[in-house]
Amino acid sequence: MDLQINGKLVQVDADPAMPLLWVLRDLLDMTGTKFGCGVAACGACTVRVDGQAVRSCVTPASTLAGKRIQTIEALGSPGRPHALQQAWIAEQVPQCGYCQSGMLMAAAALLEKTPKPTDADIDAAMTNICRCGTYQRIRVAIKRAAAMPVVVAARAKR
Amino acid sequence: MSDAGPPQGAKAPSGGSDPHAVGKRGGAVSRRTWLFSAAGAAGALIVGWGLMPPRSRTGSARLWPPVEGEVALNGWIKVLPDGAVVLAMPRSEMGQGVHTALAMLAAEELDLPLSRIRLEQAGADAIYGNVAMLVASLPFHPMEAEQRPFKVEAGEWVVRKLARELGINATGGSSSVADAWTVLRTAAATARASLLGAASLQWRLPVAEFTVREGVISHPSGKFAHYGELARFAAATPPGSVALKERKDWKLIGQSAARSDIPAKVDGTARFGLDVRLPGMLYAAIRQCPMLGGAPGAIDIPAALAMPGVERVLRLPAHAGSTAGFAVVGKSWWQAQQAAQSVAVDWQQRPAGALDSRRIDAELEAALQGDEGFVFHERGDPDQAEAAAARRVEAVYRAPYLAHATLEPMNCTAQVRGGKVDLWVPTQVPQMAAAIAARVAGVPLENVRVTLTLLGGGFGRRLEVDYVAQAVRIAMDCGGRPVQLIWSREEDSTHDFFRPMQVARLRASLDADGHIVSLRIRSAGDAITPRWMERGLPGLAGPVDTPDKTTAEGLFDLPYGFPGQHMSHVATRKGVPVGFWRSVGHSHNAFFSESFIDELAHETRQDPLSLRRHLLEGAPRYLSVLNLAASQAGWGTPLPAGRARGIALHESFGSIVAQVAEVSLTGGQLRVHRVVCAIDCGAVVNPGIVAQQMESSVVFALTAALYGGVDIHEGVVQQKNFPDAPMLQLAQTPLVQTYFVESTRPPGGVGEPGVPPLAPAVANALFALTGRRLRVLPLAA
Repeated sequence: MDLQINGKLVQVDADPAMPLLWVLRDLLDMTGTKFGCGVAACGACTVRVDGQAVRSCVTPASTLAGKRIQTIEALGSPGRPHALQQAWIAEQVPQCGYCQSGMLMAAAALLEKTPKPTDADIDAAMTNICRCGTYQRIRVAIKRAAAMPVVVAARAKR
Repeated sequence: MSDAGPPQGAKAPSGGSDPHAVGKRGGAVSRRTWLFSAAGAAGALIVGWGLMPPRSRTGSARLWPPVEGEVALNGWIKVLPDGAVVLAMPRSEMGQGVHTALAMLAAEELDLPLSRIRLEQAGADAIYGNVAMLVASLPFHPMEAEQRPFKVEAGEWVVRKLARELGINATGGSSSVADAWTVLRTAAATARASLLGAASLQWRLPVAEFTVREGVISHPSGKFAHYGELARFAAATPPGSVALKERKDWKLIGQSAARSDIPAKVDGTARFGLDVRLPGMLYAAIRQCPMLGGAPGAIDIPAALAMPGVERVLRLPAHAGSTAGFAVVGKSWWQAQQAAQSVAVDWQQRPAGALDSRRIDAELEAALQGDEGFVFHERGDPDQAEAAAARRVEAVYRAPYLAHATLEPMNCTAQVRGGKVDLWVPTQVPQMAAAIAARVAGVPLENVRVTLTLLGGGFGRRLEVDYVAQAVRIAMDCGGRPVQLIWSREEDSTHDFFRPMQVARLRASLDADGHIVSLRIRSAGDAITPRWMERGLPGLAGPVDTPDKTTAEGLFDLPYGFPGQHMSHVATRKGVPVGFWRSVGHSHNAFFSESFIDELAHETRQDPLSLRRHLLEGAPRYLSVLNLAASQAGWGTPLPAGRARGIALHESFGSIVAQVAEVSLTGGQLRVHRVVCAIDCGAVVNPGIVAQQMESSVVFALTAALYGGVDIHEGVVQQKNFPDAPMLQLAQTPLVQTYFVESTRPPGGVGEPGVPPLAPAVANALFALTGRRLRVLPLAA
């Protein structure tokens, strides 16, 4: 099958039922997208398909012909990081980091649709699981990337 | 100091009258006997050993494999030609920021920018062992230990010396910074002293006239050189006397320096265990018997082999505490998993009978009735106090089995060829991983090489090596090709080493004036440490279980000054695999004790904060933390209608944390809006990372308090994936604010101490809101 991944056309020889996650990870060695649950519950595998956040662990690659697939590897580039990646660094979001690829892709989909998201928008869009509990900083970082004022500072006080 | 000689008067711990605590009732084993037997079991108390100086942990340059152009100055520090420094890193980065925090210690003493410190995985020498973690396993009451009685000095001295010999490298017990605090700064300062000495000899100028900035040594005469230019000469220059910087001279310690691991974690380039890719690598999926302790009978292997992409199917025995099962090896993990899922298996129940968590719960409550168990703490005369009491308050509390649920499932990549084993593994215990790999493959330990990856969460689950043993066993069947074993989420959830279920009875007696004159706590549940030793360190496991501090911590070590105290724990052995879960015994014991303190406040018609303040009159360090949390949370000030506050205080891993939780209840839905954390963790290396850990702990503990629990029916764990075991999400996350109590003490832990007070703070807030006391986790609001 032919897939359009990160702006390139890629030919893959895969079982039509094989989820995109495993095509990326095991056939293409693109390991930035993570496996967490296999049932679309945790969001670690989130990529964007035509701009929308999609959980790749339950999405057969064969259903994606002709669609634009974007993974964490192409969210930004070393020379031009995405505003979310910059905000993630500025707010020191990640801890173990395992969920962060999926979080960033979900946040990118949110900002594309809703450039100035409210707290309720963020609550509704960001349903991925982070076991390290980086949620508070994710909320602040999304607002920072959206160039919105952050009402309550999450910073440490001394 | 850690290098001090044996305490005066003896080489090993011996008597000393102690009004506080002697294990005289219930169990036959006293704490003193336990210390002796623990040391003796390791075979280390040989004649004369006690007089030898403790092993130095600075180490020699020979511990580094030689690399052209690089100059090692000791076991921790290596200088590159451009003047950057490589730090030997034994600890595992699992989100807690240890790679940044330890690098900061080295950078501080070397006067180098943090960005000029690179990390290289440390070898297996004993200098890299975690001494602080073992010393912290001693069951001393922290306030008693503060006064440094002989028994504490002696006990700590022996364990510290023993730990230096054993050199067990583990990342756990919130101990990494505490362990590295003196060792790493000394190694860095020693390297710096040799570099200064080298410049002095080369330039024939006195060291006192040099200044060091950003790794460049300079002299007012205009001479200057960076570390890279001096390293070769420094390697042959003795450091002379080495002094650590004074606190007032710290430039980096105490700053919220940016974490060095974050850039790679926002662009997908960070490498976790699952991301290892090797030429010719195969993937393995696993199914373990759904009944804990059971095994597969007949397996339709030909059917599995006929599935696309499948290369091999093999049976797996029970390894390092795991349940037996089978593995399917394939060209991709998805294909292997499809085959493993579809194959027909005749599962056999555990020979000793099916496990059932409801039955165990009843058995634990029954175990509280007897007089067995180990007395961890006794003070005053609680029997007499109870007999004379005007009133008694009593309650039973319970906590369920709990899973770790690291987001990166268990995995390990192994390659076995030519009598050698290579491992790529996210683990908290690289040496234990190597040891089990050697045992399984039947090769000498020195033939095992471990490459540590980043960990997608640890929380104690990766202190186990079951999945390492399985990966090696599978790789032995793969003709020398590397194989990556990945557990599905279902395997990860159902074959965890769970936090043990615990049941506790708490009883206080009040005199006629309403003063609380005694507190008796008795809890029952499985001990963790002996089971963990059997699985991973069988050579160190004794024939009988020694009392396990980890299950009683947080009950016997309370700071409150009740005149009569009696705290005991009945260690059971129910057969459910149990392990260390972030903050271990503290995680449930703080819920028991801090909720009960709240009950006592209510029973004696006092404000919960006032009662705690009163009980902490002799404990100023605890009082400061409590007061800071209360004032920052605005304790006593009005809240919007429908909201209430709860407070809890707990010490664990050398740090004290108080939390005030603000909650509401709408349509049966409990919501935590804000959690104010105050912490005294001694010297703060990186306040930004500490704040991260407080936020992390609150979310982790709130997830457990609201949803956490593992039910076992007919031997089968019922919670199989996230839909059955919900996790807190962004929308439910409270605002977490962190405040520090200034301290000149050495650092305590930060990865775990924020977990224990959360559940009782929330439960206490709920009581304040509804008048309903919840004594069972998870909280059924």
